[in-house]
Amino acid sequence: MSDLGAFAIRASLVVALYAIAAALIGARLRDERFLTSGRRGVLAAAAFLTLASVALIWSLVAADFSILYVAQNTSLATPLFYRISGFWGNMDGSLLLWAWVLSAYSAIVVLTNRSRNAILMPYVITVLMGVLAFFLVLLTTAADPFTRLQVPPPDGGGLNPLLEDPGMFFHPPTLYLGYVALTVPFAFAVAALLTGHLGPEWITSTRRWALVAWYFMGLGLVIGGWWAYHVLGWGGYWGWDPVENSVLMPWLVVTAYIHSVMVQERRGMLKVWNLALIILAFGLSIFGTFLTRSGVVSSVHSFARSSIGPVFVAFLMAAMLSAFALLLARMGRLQEAHHLESALSREGAFLFNNVALVAAAAAVFFGTTFPMLSEAVRGVRMLVGPPYYNQVFVPIALLVLLLMGVGTSIPWVEETLPRLGRHLALAATLAGAGGVVLLVFGVRKPAALSSFILVMFVAVVTLAEFARGTRGRRRIGESVPRAVYSLLRVNPQRYGGYVVHVGGLMMVVGIAASSGLSRQIDTTLAPGEEVRIGRYMLSLQGVLPYRDSTRIGIAVQLTVSNAGQVLGVLQAGKVVHVASQQPLNLVGIRSTPRDDLYVILAGVAPRKVRLQVLLNPLVFWIWTGMGVITLGTLIAVLPELRRTRRPVVNPAAERS
Amino acid sequence: MTQRFLKLAAYVVAVAALLAGAAVSAQTIDDRVRDIARQLMCPVCEGQTVAESSSELAEQMRAVIREQLEGGQHPEQILDYFVGRYGESILAAPPKRGLNLLVWIGPFAVLLGGVGLAVRTLRRWTHPPLPGDAG
Repeated sequence: MSDLGAFAIRASLVVALYAIAAALIGARLRDERFLTSGRRGVLAAAAFLTLASVALIWSLVAADFSILYVAQNTSLATPLFYRISGFWGNMDGSLLLWAWVLSAYSAIVVLTNRSRNAILMPYVITVLMGVLAFFLVLLTTAADPFTRLQVPPPDGGGLNPLLEDPGMFFHPPTLYLGYVALTVPFAFAVAALLTGHLGPEWITSTRRWALVAWYFMGLGLVIGGWWAYHVLGWGGYWGWDPVENSVLMPWLVVTAYIHSVMVQERRGMLKVWNLALIILAFGLSIFGTFLTRSGVVSSVHSFARSSIGPVFVAFLMAAMLSAFALLLARMGRLQEAHHLESALSREGAFLFNNVALVAAAAAVFFGTTFPMLSEAVRGVRMLVGPPYYNQVFVPIALLVLLLMGVGTSIPWVEETLPRLGRHLALAATLAGAGGVVLLVFGVRKPAALSSFILVMFVAVVTLAEFARGTRGRRRIGESVPRAVYSLLRVNPQRYGGYVVHVGGLMMVVGIAASSGLSRQIDTTLAPGEEVRIGRYMLSLQGVLPYRDSTRIGIAVQLTVSNAGQVLGVLQAGKVVHVASQQPLNLVGIRSTPRDDLYVILAGVAPRKVRLQVLLNPLVFWIWTGMGVITLGTLIAVLPELRRTRRPVVNPAAERS
Repeated sequence: MTQRFLKLAAYVVAVAALLAGAAVSAQTIDDRVRDIARQLMCPVCEGQTVAESSSELAEQMRAVIREQLEGGQHPEQILDYFVGRYGESILAAPPKRGLNLLVWIGPFAVLLGGVGLAVRTLRRWTHPPLPGDAG
């Protein structure tokens, strides 16, 4: 199996390089046959990498310890489910996953562009296969997942036990589905620059890809947060860990891009800016993979370390320098007559939304890279943690939120100040009144309070948009549900986008509440003793030994009651993963839409236990918000799968 | 129209005043301990602050913070005490001085620069050059 896998990786490298050569020759000679051959090369690369990936999964499942990677990342005791996730449990496998996803995406691009984009395609293939070749070179040299062991050990090392969790099964592949999708718009952008075909084609062909990238990166972040919350046991879901940051940065940049491309689609403006954004987003995805996989930063993801850092930096530099040099060289062709009726328009609002989103990404970038800079310059590795992000990132994020409301209520082309005032007055009044109410009820943290006020503001504005649209359709005799359905159908991009906004607002509420208003009690209890937090009363039943298929330890049983009524039993413990001797937390969580009761066993003394009890309000809405975002993204993307939309040419088509 | 705008401005001012009022409202000792603990990294954990960590050391450090706060120490003095014991890398965020200012000011510089650029671009777009102008 290892020979087959090793062969398949090398074969895919060969066909990828062949596809580049054939595509370029085809473009030069204008010979369709070479081009067709190049396309088949892309499909072959995908087939070979599928073979290689299946071979690795097979070896992991069969526990073939003659392969070093298998011996390091799985064991006989590892359940089947987590033998499979050993695939992305470490560097070599993750890089193979990267390459596999990229080859599959490339195949989809080739298959969906058989007749479209004939001029761009040779260069699209060149860029896609060039990036793929970089990863394949790594996979055949420094990170070969099929390296053999002379003497196979009787048992393997096993997966890092922290990763033996459903969250960590889905988190890495989801992230990669997002990350890697960024390569497609990047390839189209570079192809547009190379050929000088800088019209709207490359954007219409890749908008869906940008959305896919955006969605899966977001989903991956949320799954990662869910995992941290349930497994790591420190009461939070987001630690500004460099590895989380490395996904947040391209996500923010793509968020900006998704908005700014609308300006180009409608008005033909912001061409240079859009190209720059997508190049930057791709660069950040490579930078993120480098951060995760090179061990350059100390983080909870430190199990993913390697020595391939310099190669990554060289590739990243080369890709960014050549892409931006190309952009500069084409600057002359990208100049066109700009004319905007008014700065007070959705176009104008998107410009500021882009600035704020890029500044937010910059805040994360400065914070993530500063420890390395400080170490290089002063020899002291300064940490940049939550206090920094609370003071720098959060204000910028609140600005983004404000612009989300303002932007939604401004129509394209032109708005007048009195009309805008009229539209915003209701939302501002309600949000202000809501703020006073919250203040009276004791919400005192400035960040949380301003988040809530802004959320109410944006929510009213967004619902007003729906109401306006529905009213319009009611006039032609549709019932309310029917009207909402028609809105989503007729303009899925716009109203799907608003649904996504609503999901985002739900997440902001959950994040602001749980980070600003959570309560924590540190206590020591003996059996029979009780502790009160909020409306809950917890009483310690006892301390019992704990044992499951892979872990042993101790756990406490706590009876949870509210006003004398017993609600259930919560279990929290400290355990050791037997195979690796790694200590782990068993977190006790009782989740309701109102708040999460979260119990950590901090320590055990004779006849007493130390507990950390947290009451995290509204966390439920973070996960629910992601569900709504999924729905909105589906609404926006699905209709496009059925028909290829022409760009809207008439700028005044929207909103009366 | 101006009246409506003034009203809107009044709301903004009122909300800002509320926020300012909220910021200076009374804090319990637990809140103050947690505020300081959030600014210190737990030396024996990876990527957790002293406020979050359930390790014994973090608990002891929280006790020290409480003791010093009750003894009338200023938060800055308490942070200095821990820096003296563990070095600068105990701080969860760099102090705002010297090279560290880069990380604190950089993002806002990007924001301001971007806003400047956006304003300039919008001005150019809404006032296209007259036929007589060059360019």
